[in-house]
Amino acid sequence: MDTLSDLATPLTMGILYGGLYVVIALGLSLVFGVMNVINVAHGDFVTLGGYVAFVAVTSLGLDPILWLIAGIPLFFIMGIVIQRFLLYRAFKMSIDAALIIAFGISLIIQNASQLVWTPLSRSLMTPYSFKSFQIGEVYIPLVYLLDFIAAVIVMLVVHQFLKRTYLGQAITAASQDRQTAELMGINPAVVYQYAFGIAMALAAIAGVFLGLTFPFNPTSGVRFLIIAFGVIILGGLGSMVGTFIGGMFFGLSQALGGYFWGPTGQLLVPFLMVLIVLTIRPQGLFGR
Amino acid sequence: MGITTRRIVVLSLLGGFAVVMALLPIMGMPQTWMLYLIYFFVFLAAANMWNLLAGFSGLLALCPAAFIGLAGYTMTILTWLNIPFYVGILVGGVVAALFSILISGSVFRMKGVYFAIGTLVVPEILRLVFLRWRPVGGELSGGGAGYMVKGVSEVIMQETYWLGLAVAVASIILIGIILRSKFGLGLAAIRDNDTSAASSGIDVFRLKLYSFIIAAFVMGVAGAIFYSYQRYIEPNSAFNIRWLMIVLLATVIGGKGIEEGPFVGAIIVVILHFQLARYGEISLLIQGIILVVIMLAVPQGITGLIRDLRRSGSFRPG
Repeated sequence: MDTLSDLATPLTMGILYGGLYVVIALGLSLVFGVMNVINVAHGDFVTLGGYVAFVAVTSLGLDPILWLIAGIPLFFIMGIVIQRFLLYRAFKMSIDAALIIAFGISLIIQNASQLVWTPLSRSLMTPYSFKSFQIGEVYIPLVYLLDFIAAVIVMLVVHQFLKRTYLGQAITAASQDRQTAELMGINPAVVYQYAFGIAMALAAIAGVFLGLTFPFNPTSGVRFLIIAFGVIILGGLGSMVGTFIGGMFFGLSQALGGYFWGPTGQLLVPFLMVLIVLTIRPQGLFGR
Repeated sequence: MGITTRRIVVLSLLGGFAVVMALLPIMGMPQTWMLYLIYFFVFLAAANMWNLLAGFSGLLALCPAAFIGLAGYTMTILTWLNIPFYVGILVGGVVAALFSILISGSVFRMKGVYFAIGTLVVPEILRLVFLRWRPVGGELSGGGAGYMVKGVSEVIMQETYWLGLAVAVASIILIGIILRSKFGLGLAAIRDNDTSAASSGIDVFRLKLYSFIIAAFVMGVAGAIFYSYQRYIEPNSAFNIRWLMIVLLATVIGGKGIEEGPFVGAIIVVILHFQLARYGEISLLIQGIILVVIMLAVPQGITGLIRDLRRSGSFRPG
C-alpha cells in the first residue's frame, strides 16, 4: 500500500511532463516525415525557444505563455529562412549533407547561446512556477499539468491543420509519397519551407514549456533531441497517436527510472528502452 | 597485382613521411610541435576510420565517441591493475571492437537516418552509465567516475608520439589496402546502391559489420593513445560530442569519400583546434560556421575541389 501511494506521484508526473516531450517530438517528426531528414538541431531550437522566452520574461516582464503570441510567428519566419537558405540547398545535394548542415547549425546555436546567456542553467520564473495542486494523496506541480494541456492542444491543432487546410494536406501528401505529390502539382520546396517553419513554431512552444518545467542550459539541446527521437521511435514514425503515447511512455519511464535509480537513472532507463525497442521492433511500437 | 610506378611513388612518399616524422623527436623537435603532431595523428587515424564508415561504406555512424571513450577507459582501468599502458591501448581497441559487435545487432537494423540517430544515442548512454559507476573497494577504490592514468608519469611524450604516428600510418595503409581489395569494391557497391549490391551477391550486412568493427578498433586504439597522453579520463569528456565534431570536420573539410581527404582535413582541424583554443566558446562556434560554409560552398571538400579543378584543366600544380 505504501509503495503504491509512493509510486502514484512519479507515475502522474511522468505522464504529465511526457506532454512536453510530445510537443518536442512533433516538430522533429513533422520535418522527418516530409523531408526524410532528422533535424539534429531541433533540440537546440527548443532550447533557443526557451532562451528567447527567458529574455522576454526577464527584460519585458511578459508571461512566457503570453510571449508565444509573438514567439510563434518569430520562430516560424526563422524556420523558413533557415530552410530556404541553408537546409534546402544541402538537401538537394544529399540527405547526409543536410544532416551535417543541421549538425553545424546545432553547434552554432549551442555555442552562440553559451556566449550570450552564459553556460548557467536557467528556468522561466512565473508567479505560478511553484504552485501545485492535489489529487487524492498526490501533489502535482501546476506546470506539469500545463505541459500536458499544451500537448493536447498542440496535437489537436496540428491534426486539424494537416487534415483540413490545403497546405496541411499538401504536407501530408508530400510525406506519404513525394513523387506522386509533385505530380499532383505540389511544389516540394514550398512544402518543406512551411513544414520547417511549423516545426520551428512548435520548437518555440516546446521551449517555453521546457523552461517552465526543467532548468536548461546551452547544451541541453542534445539531450532533448535524443529524447524526442526516442519518443518517435517508441511511438513509431508517422503516427501522431503513437507520438503522443510515446511521449507519455518516455515521461513515465523517466519518472520511474529516477524514482528507483536516482538522477542518472532518469534518462538511462528510457534510453535503454529505446535501444531495446529498436532491436525488437525497429518500426516502433505503433509504427506500420 | 599490377604495381604501377604511381603506386611506388605514393608508397615511398608515405614511407619517407613516416621515417621523417619518426626521427623528428630525436632531432630535438620543440615540445609544442610534438603536441600538435600527437593531436594530428590521433585525429587523422579517427578521421580515416570515419571516412571508411561514412565515405566508403555508407554508414553515417555518429558514435566515434563511444569507441574512443570506451577504449580510453579500458586503458586507464588496466593501468590501475598494473598492466602497462601500451598493452592497455591494444586491449582498449579490442574492447571497442567487441562493443561495436555488441551494438551492431540493434543499430544495423536501422537504415540511413535512423542509423545515424540510433548511433548518436550510444555515446550518451555510455556517458550516463559511466557517470553512475562508483567502484567500491579493491584496487579501483577512491575514484569517482573520473580516473587518472596510473603509472605513466614517467612515460615521456615521445612514446605517445611514436604510438600516435604508428596508428596514423597504420590507418592510412589500412584504408589503402581496403580500397584496393575486393572488400573495398563491395563497400563501394553498397554505398552506391545497397539493394543492387545485395542482388549481385554481396553480403551487405557482413561487409558493413566488418568495416564497423575495423573502424571501432582503430578509433579505439587512437582514443586510448590520446588518453594515455592526457593522463586523465572522465565520462563527460570521453563520451563528448566533440569527438564526433572533430572527425566530421576533418572528413568533410578534407573531402568525404576521398582517400586523401582526412589527411588534409586533419591538418586544418588541428590548426583550428589550437589557434581557436584561446577563444573558448567562440572556437566551437567558428568551427560550426566553417562546417556549414564548407558543406554548402565546397561539398566535395578541399581534396575534392582540387581534383575537380585538375580535371577541368584550370589548375596545374607545379
